[in-house]
Amino acid sequence: MSAPKLSTRDLCKSFEKDGASIEVLRGLNIDIARGEFVSIVGASGCGKTTFLRLVNGLIRPSSGSAFIDGRAVTTPGGEIAFVFQQDGLLPWRTVLDNTIIGPELQGKNMGKARDLASSYLALVGLRGFEKHYPHELSGGMRQRVNMARALTAGADVLLMDEPFAALDAQTREIMQTELTRIWSETGKTVLFVTHQIDEAVFLSDRVLVFTVRPGRLKEEVAIDLPRPRDLALKRRPEFGAHVDRIWRLIEEEVRDSIRRETEEALAAAQR
Amino acid sequence: MGSLGIRRWSLSFGVAAILWEAVALWLDNKLFLVRLGAIGQRFVELIQSGELMADMRVSFIEFAGGFGLAILVGISAGVVMAAFKGLRDLVDPWVSMLYATPTIALGPLFMLAFGIGYASKIALVFLTCVFPILINTLAGLKTTDRTLLEVVRSYGATPRQIYFKVRIPAALPFIIAGLRVSVARALVGVVVAELFGARAGLGFLIFRSAQSFDTAGLFVAVFILAVCGVACVEFLKWIEIRLAPWRFNNMDEE
Repeated sequence: MSAPKLSTRDLCKSFEKDGASIEVLRGLNIDIARGEFVSIVGASGCGKTTFLRLVNGLIRPSSGSAFIDGRAVTTPGGEIAFVFQQDGLLPWRTVLDNTIIGPELQGKNMGKARDLASSYLALVGLRGFEKHYPHELSGGMRQRVNMARALTAGADVLLMDEPFAALDAQTREIMQTELTRIWSETGKTVLFVTHQIDEAVFLSDRVLVFTVRPGRLKEEVAIDLPRPRDLALKRRPEFGAHVDRIWRLIEEEVRDSIRRETEEALAAAQR
Repeated sequence: MGSLGIRRWSLSFGVAAILWEAVALWLDNKLFLVRLGAIGQRFVELIQSGELMADMRVSFIEFAGGFGLAILVGISAGVVMAAFKGLRDLVDPWVSMLYATPTIALGPLFMLAFGIGYASKIALVFLTCVFPILINTLAGLKTTDRTLLEVVRSYGATPRQIYFKVRIPAALPFIIAGLRVSVARALVGVVVAELFGARAGLGFLIFRSAQSFDTAGLFVAVFILAVCGVACVEFLKWIEIRLAPWRFNNMDEE
């Protein structure tokens, strides 16, 4: 592999809660190549979202570092864009004005930003919606704006935190094929967090399986399915084999995590 | 307001007018309830004598002065308090206390302090309506959706940009809602302030009509105040919907 686009070295994160220190992530060493699509799956509480926040620079690691093109990440913005589960569109701004927020905050040329935003809105299938307001759009359309906004920010790396989790099942499937198309047309590097194994397998070149708290890399699974992929792939046996394998890797962790959550809730109720 | 709204309003007013006339006829007590025609006649008289315009001018100045000052001070104080937590902790108990106190009771004191002219009225109007504006401004600035803040932060927004591009626009509908609450309180402030002692004004018109058993004149003033109140509130509601249509999207329009 040539020099990785995104890498982490000994990345650790602990939070203080009620005076106790909770270790969320331990010693993560991950390399992601330019233009690669990598997903992270794991039981809830495995620190997937925390990992994305660290890579984005929204929070600082307890030790270790994340690197983009070999430079340590210290602040958000610039080469990395974050696509959140909630679209977070500013309700008082039109679709176009939401899409250009990245260049606007960085004081870039607004004329150029508008052209760029229009072309990315067309790419995500929202041509003609520039002047609409977010509350006039469906959930799926809002997530498309969310993606167009990240692309317009000019980032090479997209961090996506369960962006389709709030969508209904059919819309989610459509958005998955849309995302693979957009990814192949733009050549961005994508780090995608999801709790849906089939989503991870369908989208990714590689799936990283995290252990539960503290989150560590348990295993990485290369997805060697041919591209371009369409939804029919999900019914093929080799697709099912990948999903099965990953599920077996995290099944025990998921059970543990549910058991722990139940115990914690009971303990909290008894207090 | 669509044609349906207009129909509903005229129906409602029509029924009210009929009821009014019926009760007035039945009571047959000109001191308590006069017929609508008599009120209309008194209205014309008061206009012709120039009294009404003079009273309205005085009340308008008191209202505009007090309410304008309250907007200015309420919004600025809210912005400052939102920015400085230490100051907020210090001032908050007083704001809550004064908001809950019927500050209108301080009217007589203000007459003593500022005299019978505009100053005492403006001060009292200001005091009755500044707190809802302040509290709403503060609440609007403090309750910004965390997702929105996180998103703009992830795109590299500076604290200044976060303030001007997210917090303030997000707070605007709250501020307008505060104005809507305040405007009604301001009108009450004007009337009550004038009852404590004045030389002119709609509140004073009520007072002097009552003194001379002129029930029709009293109702002229009350109706004018009611129309002004409804107009102000509806206008602010209209601005609110214009400014933040997304907040009215999921509401039950039953």
